[in-house]
Amino acid sequence: MNALSISTAISTGRVNLITTRQRSLTVARWRALWLALVFAAIAAAALVRIAVLGVSDRTTTIASLEEALLPPRGEITDRNGVPLARAFPAYALWYNPRALGEGGSPLVKSAEEVAAELAAIFPDLDQAKVARQLAAGRPGYIRRRVLPEDANRVQAIGELALEMPQETDRYYPQGSMGAHVLGYVDAEGRGQVGMEQVLDRHLTDPALRDQPVALSIDMRVQGALEDELRRGMLAVNALGAAGIVLDVDTGEVMALASLPEFNPNKIDAEGEKYMFNRVTNQVYELGSTFKPLTVAAAIDAGVVRDFGRRYNAEPVAIGGFTIRDSHPLGATLNVPESLIHSSNTVTARIADELGPEKLRQTMIDLGMNERPYIELPARGHPIWPGDDWPRLRNMTVSYGHGIAVTPLHLASAYAAMVNGGVWRPATLRKLEPGAAPRGRRVFKASTSARMRQLLRMIAVYGTGRNANAAGYRVGGKTGSAEKPGAGGYRRSTLVSTFAAAFPMDRPRYVVIAMLDEPKGTTASSFQRTAAWNAAPIVGNLVPRIGPLLGVRPDDARDVDISDLRPLIRGDGE
Amino acid sequence: MNSVVPAPIARQPWGMLIPLFMLVGFGAMVLFSAAGGNWKPFAIPHLVRFAVFLAMAGVMTLFSRDLVRLLAYPGYALVLAMLVAVEAMGFVGGGSQRWLDLGVIQLQPSELMKPAIVLVLARFYSGLPPSMTTSWRALVPAGVLIALPMGLVLLQPDLGTTLAIAFGGVVVMFLAGLPLRWFAAGAIGAMIVAPIAYFFGLHDYQRRRVTTFLDPESDPLGAGYHITQSKIAIGSGGLTGKGFNEGSQSHLNYLPEPHTDFVFATMAEEWGLLGGLAVILIFGLILRWGLQVAHRSQDRFAKLLAAGMVATIFFYVAINLMMVMGLAPVVGIPLPFMSHGGSSMLTNMICIGSLMMVNRWNRQAPQSRFR
Repeated sequence: MNALSISTAISTGRVNLITTRQRSLTVARWRALWLALVFAAIAAAALVRIAVLGVSDRTTTIASLEEALLPPRGEITDRNGVPLARAFPAYALWYNPRALGEGGSPLVKSAEEVAAELAAIFPDLDQAKVARQLAAGRPGYIRRRVLPEDANRVQAIGELALEMPQETDRYYPQGSMGAHVLGYVDAEGRGQVGMEQVLDRHLTDPALRDQPVALSIDMRVQGALEDELRRGMLAVNALGAAGIVLDVDTGEVMALASLPEFNPNKIDAEGEKYMFNRVTNQVYELGSTFKPLTVAAAIDAGVVRDFGRRYNAEPVAIGGFTIRDSHPLGATLNVPESLIHSSNTVTARIADELGPEKLRQTMIDLGMNERPYIELPARGHPIWPGDDWPRLRNMTVSYGHGIAVTPLHLASAYAAMVNGGVWRPATLRKLEPGAAPRGRRVFKASTSARMRQLLRMIAVYGTGRNANAAGYRVGGKTGSAEKPGAGGYRRSTLVSTFAAAFPMDRPRYVVIAMLDEPKGTTASSFQRTAAWNAAPIVGNLVPRIGPLLGVRPDDARDVDISDLRPLIRGDGE
Repeated sequence: MNSVVPAPIARQPWGMLIPLFMLVGFGAMVLFSAAGGNWKPFAIPHLVRFAVFLAMAGVMTLFSRDLVRLLAYPGYALVLAMLVAVEAMGFVGGGSQRWLDLGVIQLQPSELMKPAIVLVLARFYSGLPPSMTTSWRALVPAGVLIALPMGLVLLQPDLGTTLAIAFGGVVVMFLAGLPLRWFAAGAIGAMIVAPIAYFFGLHDYQRRRVTTFLDPESDPLGAGYHITQSKIAIGSGGLTGKGFNEGSQSHLNYLPEPHTDFVFATMAEEWGLLGGLAVILIFGLILRWGLQVAHRSQDRFAKLLAAGMVATIFFYVAINLMMVMGLAPVVGIPLPFMSHGGSSMLTNMICIGSLMMVNRWNRQAPQSRFR
């Protein structure tokens, strides 16, 4: 019994020894495996990291020397090479208190001395404030913009802590002029609103940005247009104004203005409010300016053959709606008289004879059913009456109601009407001679010739007399459309437009001036209609831009209207 | 075996030596480029040092197991004494007091402590009966053996080396089979101590390195400069690199320390992703050989010694690579066998020599039944 127990004890000890050994071996193996796994995991992490760093382009950007010498963003010029938008290398004055290393004074001289020397260079500097800033040893701007010669003088002070980092500005030397055409560059360096946005890729492309991009704009014409529009707008307390000068033969936009404007050099909340472009983005019912288009369509279709024929000028009652004239013009009117006096009733009757299909097709040919053709990103879609025009709709469209388009639509349509009948898309890029698009024919050349006579007669004898600048043979049509408001049209809230072309013996340019909600003031003889506010703008503008655009005033030349002149009775003279 | 190659040459561990020679040669090429296409002042000393320390490793190989076991404690004590001497009379270089001028050479005893701690712990655990590995007697003496040099090195101050010593020691303890819960408790303790140490224990420049590591772009020209430039160098290498002697980051002095701590970035810029892969692969071959040596060895002492040495080399490689790639804070740890610098070459060649020595022991003794 005793021996047995001893033997058991020994054997148990041995078994224990073996299990301990076995267990520790297993543990050792597991531990070694764990260690190897950790090694492998870290090696894998390193490999992935190298691959990410080495293959992705995010870690580095390649910059070549040639690229560094180019302007950071291409220039934009007008058609004559006058810079409109420049990349402007500017210097800032930055205080870097660590320029002389950590510890010790950041300046060689005392803060007061340095501030005094800076004040000698920049007389408007707040010397005490700068002295405090320098003494406090906090990095920061002392001045945001420093002229190069002033930068040299700051350098001469000999303080390393005064650093002049180069920063690039987009600078618009003409200030707010042409702001809606140009747009601006945002803080991220992307073009916004105007041609800056359209040309963004081109202007930042290293291969292309060394050459400036020429726009079709003529800076001098743009300046005159903005000036006259602003004057006209302020004289009648209008909400806003829009204007455009368009080359009738090429579609190039010589000037395009939307007021109030913004300053692309200083973008703030105030400016952002005015970025909306009235010329290309806002649609208006442009009213009587559509009448010549209707008459042209009728002449073209052979509906109007006899200019002496007299049309009934009584109000037209149709479908519970009555079309009237703004004031009684007599019982009958012929075509020249109806345009001169701007008769709604006669125009509606002519359109009725023409028929909705033909008028609609003319409007489509003039591009009135789609967004205007121009490069700008913001282009308004017209309010288009659709496919099937009832009789009433046909009549209202004939005098510019029930259809809303942008002023640019109207300019392109007028260009087609006076240039011999060919519609071309408008463009803001300067076109080389002979590079104008072929366009599409909307009117016959004979129709266009008639329209020149009729438009000229409106300016000589009719509502456009205030636009008849002596010697420039202006022809054009007024339009005073009531703005739709709550519960129908508001009689006293108008959009007044004058759509003109000059010189009428050989039209070169279309000019549109439009005022949004003009008031009756002394300047407009207490009238709100286009004859008294929009037409004078064109009358003042044409003598300013004519010589710049190669149109000389000449009293000896004019479009021959002698065959139509006898048809006008009464107050024409 | 009637091979053409004589036996004494054939029995050398060529599976490790050839990758090692390639690595050192490649390192010399990179150093040649980092010096602007000159053999001096980096590449030639690098090769000479390697030759000298390879001879030293060859001599180490001849030590017998009993001799090494005998020398473990005295060796550790000697290095510890040198660390104390550094504190007392060493000179200050680069902002911290690490160097001991012995007249002939300048020695960095903290470097010698890395293999010494592995050796002494291997000796300690080989003498400990396996049944006691879970008792406090397995932990406390080893803890003291690690804590003493750690404290001394931390005083210099040299955070990177302190962590390297701790890593080598902990790996040996881990392999010795100490209970896992102790390591878990240690990790939790470190997590609690780390923030306290960060705010009260670290020097200002060390603290900035940590914050910079977390967000290098916060100060790309100041404290984040090292990491940012290093990442640019690695990234600009792309797949195949810019070509030998074409690295602009190193040649134009954008990259700090292109020949020591950031030698990998210098290499990756000129040789690209493929160069980086090759270097990591070669390190993998060397470390795998080391682990195989540890695996084949018969007794606990040799096993722990070999594995600890592998871990020490691995720690260098891993921390350096991660630091250069922006995955770890900048601590001054060079890349073994490639970076210019005598002390790290010495340490790593001691590790290699120890592994070759264990390899020789394995070859001499017949394989035991229990492996």
